[in-house]
Amino acid sequence: MEQDDLIITAAQAQLELSAEEEGRLAAAVTEMLDYFSKMSEVDVDNLAPTTHALVTDNALRTDTPNQNNNQKELVDRAPDNENNFIVIPNVL
Amino acid sequence: MIKIKDWRSYISSIREKDKDINSFLEFADDTSAGTGLISGETLLSRETLLSRVPFGVKDNIAVTGMRLTCGSKMLENFVSPYDATAVAKLKAAGAVPAGKTNLDEFGMGSSTDNSALAVTNNPWDLSRVCGGSSGGSAAAVAAGLVPFALGTDTGGSVRQPASFCGVYGLKPTYGVVSRFGLVAYASSLEVCGIIADTVETTREVFNIIKGKDGNDQTSVEHLPASPEAESIAVLSGELGLSSEVMAGYQKAVDGFKASGYGIIEVELPMLEYGIAAYYTIAMAEASANLARYNGVRYGHRSASAEGFDDLVRKSRDEGFGDEVKLRILLGTYVLRSGFQDQYYTRAQKIRTAVRNEFDKVFGRADLMMMPTFPTAAFRHGNSGLDQFQQKLADKFTVAANLAGIPALSIPVSVENGLPVGMQLMAPVFAEERLFAAADKLALQLPPAVCPGKMEGF
Repeated sequence: MEQDDLIITAAQAQLELSAEEEGRLAAAVTEMLDYFSKMSEVDVDNLAPTTHALVTDNALRTDTPNQNNNQKELVDRAPDNENNFIVIPNVL
Repeated sequence: MIKIKDWRSYISSIREKDKDINSFLEFADDTSAGTGLISGETLLSRETLLSRVPFGVKDNIAVTGMRLTCGSKMLENFVSPYDATAVAKLKAAGAVPAGKTNLDEFGMGSSTDNSALAVTNNPWDLSRVCGGSSGGSAAAVAAGLVPFALGTDTGGSVRQPASFCGVYGLKPTYGVVSRFGLVAYASSLEVCGIIADTVETTREVFNIIKGKDGNDQTSVEHLPASPEAESIAVLSGELGLSSEVMAGYQKAVDGFKASGYGIIEVELPMLEYGIAAYYTIAMAEASANLARYNGVRYGHRSASAEGFDDLVRKSRDEGFGDEVKLRILLGTYVLRSGFQDQYYTRAQKIRTAVRNEFDKVFGRADLMMMPTFPTAAFRHGNSGLDQFQQKLADKFTVAANLAGIPALSIPVSVENGLPVGMQLMAPVFAEERLFAAADKLALQLPPAVCPGKMEGF
């Protein structure tokens, strides 16, 4: 992978990589991508893609209202919260 | 199976024994929720098959009130608000979580050395890895700390550490055990599995945790296939095994022959492409599943961030280890517009080809046997296998995940002091066929007991 591609991909993945990390990961990324190119040897023309091994029908259920009383428990797990809201740095 | 009467003395003795092995990240009595579990009066009030039986839980599977670290700094202090379905079913059957076991960060690795929180040693040889990613679970069972433990298997993560530690490791049919409460890594491939010291325990636990679950829309009811089997397929040609694994392989073939099974040689040409297809799919799914860790609702939040975007990027950079970042980067790349046909869609088509080949094999034979891993447990650090070599060595295990079929790693021999495992594979829903064959093989090749294994409490 070219350096430019790595930077674009890291941005899309919301990863901030230090220069030292970029160097370390670039070689490993390239090694794997080279290995992935092996897949081009396979003739896949008449094959449908498999998304799940055991797909039967679409899984549907009735949309019924349900009570969950663990709201506080969940908000409490946020690194910073106040009055039942999750606090984040100013966006504007 | 061991039934605990005095839980405090039990936990303190396994804590002591675990000092050299480090298989647990947290013991039940480290938390008030866990202490409640081991001191509850209900522990003694009813007698069931699994009542008062302790078990280990890989730390990417949720237990209420206990931590759920995934071996990552990202979730180091996260406490689970609920139980995974498999854990809830075991608790309802009377079994008790003894603690949470170490793993490669988010299940990504084959040694457990990718854990950001602890180094787990193989109880057979402390200088060696216990395998991964469910390495803590396998090491704890081998050392006799618990009779069984839950793990997760995305590309071999239950079977490979079971093989390295000389115990049984079951990867069930995809969807047969609910994934509710498993921290998602590669959703189309992974399944909750069982590591245990006997076939009987593996079977009993499987029968408790299986079944359709309303909380997991990909779960399915188990429709048992015939347990009868007469023939076992093996791969023809050179397998590229270490001398130890080759020796175990030969013993297993001879053992199955002596048990009355016919051995049929087959070819699986797609096995050569399984690794590339598997890692393409797993990394793509991982990049999507791990997008949720952004430092906002839970998990690590960077202390030095200025503004929201900076907070997300810094939290992820500080919270994830190298292997996780590598997989997120590759997964993001193969899903980028313009590359999908070349990588992701092609990998899914190869997945179909792998399934088709297994269909053909199971048209000729009732079971298939392959080595679980090409080597026995390797050493910690640079003298072992590097990360890329470890991925290539997943060749035999990823096939079952791509095809969704069940597979059981069986301890078949000890070579030069290290256990060697072979995996049996079966068509979907034919877990009972695996157990029956493993029972028969155990009469020919009784599993060796790890030196120093704890017995009785």
